[in-house]
Formats: sequence, C-alpha cells, structure tokens
Amino acid sequence: MRKRVFTSIVVTVVLLSLSWIILTPTLFPVVQANTDASAVHKGFQAPGFTLQTPEGQSISLSDYEGQPVLVFLWASWCSICKRTMPGLQSVYEEFAPEGFEILAINTSFQDSLTNAASYFESQGYTYTMLLDRDGSLSRDYQLHAVPLSVLVGPEGEVIDVIIGSGMSEAYLRAKLTDIYGERD
Amino acid sequence: MFPMINIGPLSIQAAGFIMIVSLFIGLWATSYFSKNLGTNGDLIENSILLGLIAGLISARVGFILQNPSALAGNPMAIFSLTPSMLNPGFGIFVGLLAAFIFAQKKHLPLWPSLDTLAPLFLFLFAGIHLSNYAIGNGYGLPTELPWGIQLWNETRHPVNLYALFLVTICFLAMLFHTKVFKTAGFLRSGTLFNLSMGAVGLITLITRAFVSEKSLIGKFDIWQIFGFAILILGIALIYKKSFQDRKHIQVFVSLGSNRDPDKNLPEAVKKLEDFSKIRGMSHIYKSKDVQKESDPSFFYNKVIEIDTRLSFNDLSSRLKSIEVDLGREPGNKVNVPIDLDILTYDDDVFFTQGKQIPDPNLIKYKYIAIPLKELAPDFRHPASGILIEDIINQLKDDHKIQMLKEVENGFEA
Repeated sequence: MRKRVFTSIVVTVVLLSLSWIILTPTLFPVVQANTDASAVHKGFQAPGFTLQTPEGQSISLSDYEGQPVLVFLWASWCSICKRTMPGLQSVYEEFAPEGFEILAINTSFQDSLTNAASYFESQGYTYTMLLDRDGSLSRDYQLHAVPLSVLVGPEGEVIDVIIGSGMSEAYLRAKLTDIYGERD
Repeated sequence: MFPMINIGPLSIQAAGFIMIVSLFIGLWATSYFSKNLGTNGDLIENSILLGLIAGLISARVGFILQNPSALAGNPMAIFSLTPSMLNPGFGIFVGLLAAFIFAQKKHLPLWPSLDTLAPLFLFLFAGIHLSNYAIGNGYGLPTELPWGIQLWNETRHPVNLYALFLVTICFLAMLFHTKVFKTAGFLRSGTLFNLSMGAVGLITLITRAFVSEKSLIGKFDIWQIFGFAILILGIALIYKKSFQDRKHIQVFVSLGSNRDPDKNLPEAVKKLEDFSKIRGMSHIYKSKDVQKESDPSFFYNKVIEIDTRLSFNDLSSRLKSIEVDLGREPGNKVNVPIDLDILTYDDDVFFTQGKQIPDPNLIKYKYIAIPLKELAPDFRHPASGILIEDIINQLKDDHKIQMLKEVENGFEA
C-alpha cells in the first residue's frame, strides 16, 4: 500500500472516530431514569417481596430499609448452598448488631419443606429463613441455579449478584466492611 | 441472557465457561499459526501460561490488599477457589508484565511473537463480549430498533452483539489476509498485531456509545477514550514500521557455488558491494550438494552480512541479476556458478513471492548455519529467538562440511 493511500485512510478513520466520540453524549445521552427500575442486576433496585417464615410470620424486603440485606436463595438438596451457609452465619453474627440481615429464602416449590426446615434448625442458623412456596420470588429474581446471592444495599439497590459459591464468608465480610466503612 | 449453561446434569457458569473456551480456541489457533510463521510456539505458550498464573495470583492478592478484612475470619480463605474475590485490573496488569518479562528473558522476538498472538487476542476480545452478553453486563441503552433485546426491564441495544459482529468481521479479514494462518501477510513483523489492536480500539470506541452504564470523565466515556488511544497507538506503530525510511538494514546473504568458486564467489561479493556495504564475511565451507548426494562435485558456501537500504524486493532482484551476470541458468541445478539467498532481512518474518524470510534452510543445513555462526556467534533467529549455536545443535543435517583457508588466487583445505 502506498503511503498516500494509507495516510488518507488513517485520517478518515481518525476523524470519524473523533466525531463519533464527541457526538456520543448528544446522540446517546445516559438515561438516569432506570435507577428506579427494579431488576436483579448491579445498580438497579432489588425487586421487593413479602414472604412467610416457616412459623407463618410475614417479612418484607422493605422492612429492612436503611440496612444492607443479603437475599440468599437455597435448597436443602444443594450441597454448595449447605457449604456456603455456615460462613454466612459467622459473618451474620459479626454484623447483625449493626443492622445487617440475611434472608435465607428456601426455594420450597422445588424442595421438601420438612428437610429444609430440619436442616436449617439443626445447624443453628440465627438468620431469617423464608419460604418461596409458589416460586414467584424465584421468577422475579430470575433464578437459574441455587445458590443465588443478591446483596442489597441500604437504599435497596443491588450491590452484587452471585450465582454459586462466590458469596463466601471472606467475600461477604469484605463487602460489608466496605458498606459500613463508608458510613462511618 | 443465559448466565448458566446446562450440559446434562451439569450447570456451568456461562461467563467463565465462555472465557475458558475462547482462551482454549485462541491458544489452539496461536499454536497452529506459530508453526507456519516459524515462531517459538512452546515459549509463547509458556509465557501465556505464566502470565495466567501470575495474573490469577495477583488478582487474588490485589483483592485481599484492597479488602484486608476478608481474611479476618479465616486466613485460609486466600486460597479459596471462589472467582468473586479477584481484582481483575491488577491481575491483568501483573499477568501481562510477568509474561512480558519472561518473554524478554527468553529472548522471544517481540513483534513476530505478537503477530502469532493476534488470533488469540481477537478470540479473548470476542469472549469478553459474549460472556458479558451471557450475564447481562455492559448492557445497552433503551432503543426502539427492531433488533433490540429485552433486558433489565427495557428493550435495549444488544451492544455486546454489535461488538461480536464487528470482531467477527475482523477475524474473517484476518483469516483471508493470512491465508488461514499460513503467513502474517505483511512485510513487517508486528503489522498484523498492531492492526488487530487498532481494530479492537475502533470497535470499542464505536460500541461503547450504545452502552447504558458509562464511566464518564467530564462528558466522555473513559472506554471510548481508551479505545481511541489504542487505535492511535496501533496506527502510529504501523506507520513507523511500514513507512519510515530505514537507512541501515542488516541482511545476511548465503553465497554458494559449484563451478569455479575461487572466481565466482569473490566476483559476487564485489558486485554486492556496488549497492551495499559488506559488514562481515565468513570463511568458505566445502560440502557435498545436499540435494544430490550422488553428485561427485562439491559446493562451496559462505555467509556475508551486508548493510543496505534497498527494499526486500529490490534487493532480491539485484541478487537475481548478479546470478544471471555470472552465468547462472534458471532451472539448472547441476551447474551453479553462483547462488545467492537472502537468509534474513532485518528482524522481519514474512512470506513474499514464494519466499519465506528468514530462509527455512537456515535451520536445516550446516552449510548455512555453520558459516553464520562463525560470522555472528550471537545471532538469534528473528522468528524464534533461538541462538545460532542451539540451531546448529538441533540440525538433522549429517553432511560433512569443511572450512577452507583462503589464499591468494584461491583457497586450500
């Protein structure tokens, strides 16, 4: 390729690129409106819900406004869930006095309630167990696999969505230290 | 969106799976490409592996340094296999640095090796976009266009698919231009890589406009500016390599003769001096013709180093005319007054007019490798970076070769 052809292609590409970058803010303004929309993705509002404990007490996500909440979807047949939950307990004990809550939602529509309740009790977990009996919450939270961990910030915004074992004790502790650290 | 891939009873995280698959295919393409370019595939693969390991470890260390409280409950958590506790930016930085330092230490030639990596580079770029598409990251702005996708409560630009589409075009262009990874397709090493880098920058700056969550500096998206910088860097490097006038190009030429070598070899050297500067010359070596074992006559070879500013094609046709001047008949392999072959041209690795540079015979035959070592003991192969001494040790050529002492009006054993 001759130098002149190269130069003219380069100049055209560079000028078009520059104009594209300069025009981007006008052509494609960032839409702020979706911060109020709910979706299970970082930056959106966490979808609200009201579910019952095995004892029949109704609990809503909105009850915890102003506090971070970990929404944890699990099943008693899921070994990764059962490996993750003891770690959550120790972080819970550390941060519960500050107002942190864990809502361990059993996906009861695909689990045996007896097995789930007896497992939860036998392990002595002190965080809240809720039941998704008809699977409507699992649909709202686009459950693809258990465990699904959704960390919700004090303003109800989704901070993190993790499928699988990623919501480990160490990771959750780091995240909460971050949240409470910013508040001080 | 498909965050999980179900294979039978297995549920696999789509993002990680896609990245591993694209790394795997990219590595496979790279090793195939490396064989055809003559670059050092094993060392390149080792550098990638080392970079990956160093990158993973430092991504974890980076996360821990940023969040020391993570280890408060259980210090062993630093070894846990969870992918969430990683600092990708730090990991990529250290990984690239480690791979680069390792490659330098092993004398891997930078540009030919990067050319070899160009397909891997495109595969990883495509993999990032496909896994973002799978988990709904880097989602687009709302749109009413018919090809919008339903994601996070809106119909949105499928921005990851735009990038995937554009990078596929680049990949097809690369397949076409390299004749399906047979050659790098350019006269200067690094051009293929720099072109790929520029293309990735261009794709980034185009597609980032449609992304909903931008990281702004002032009014502008930081990734668009980064893409632009990459594009400019790619263009500048291509310009520098392809169009800047080179005054001193180091070329090694192999001379061979089986008819009147005591006359033809010095004559050829004299003619070479008309358009280049002779920097050095080996002794003459006598050997049997490697092509025709039965031929009783001997070949006399030497290697010289010249300094020229002629382009490869010009130099090549000058050498051809010297051959003709000294009575070489094309096609006649029995009677060869003089044979001139360009062994290396600067430090470039390329394929043009049916000729591969560096000359593949360089790593095949003693009659080239041994005089070359005498002339330049520190010589490293421009494509693989292998030292001439190691090239000689790996030769499968078992012909006898004998160095001759030159005397006035001829030479003696």
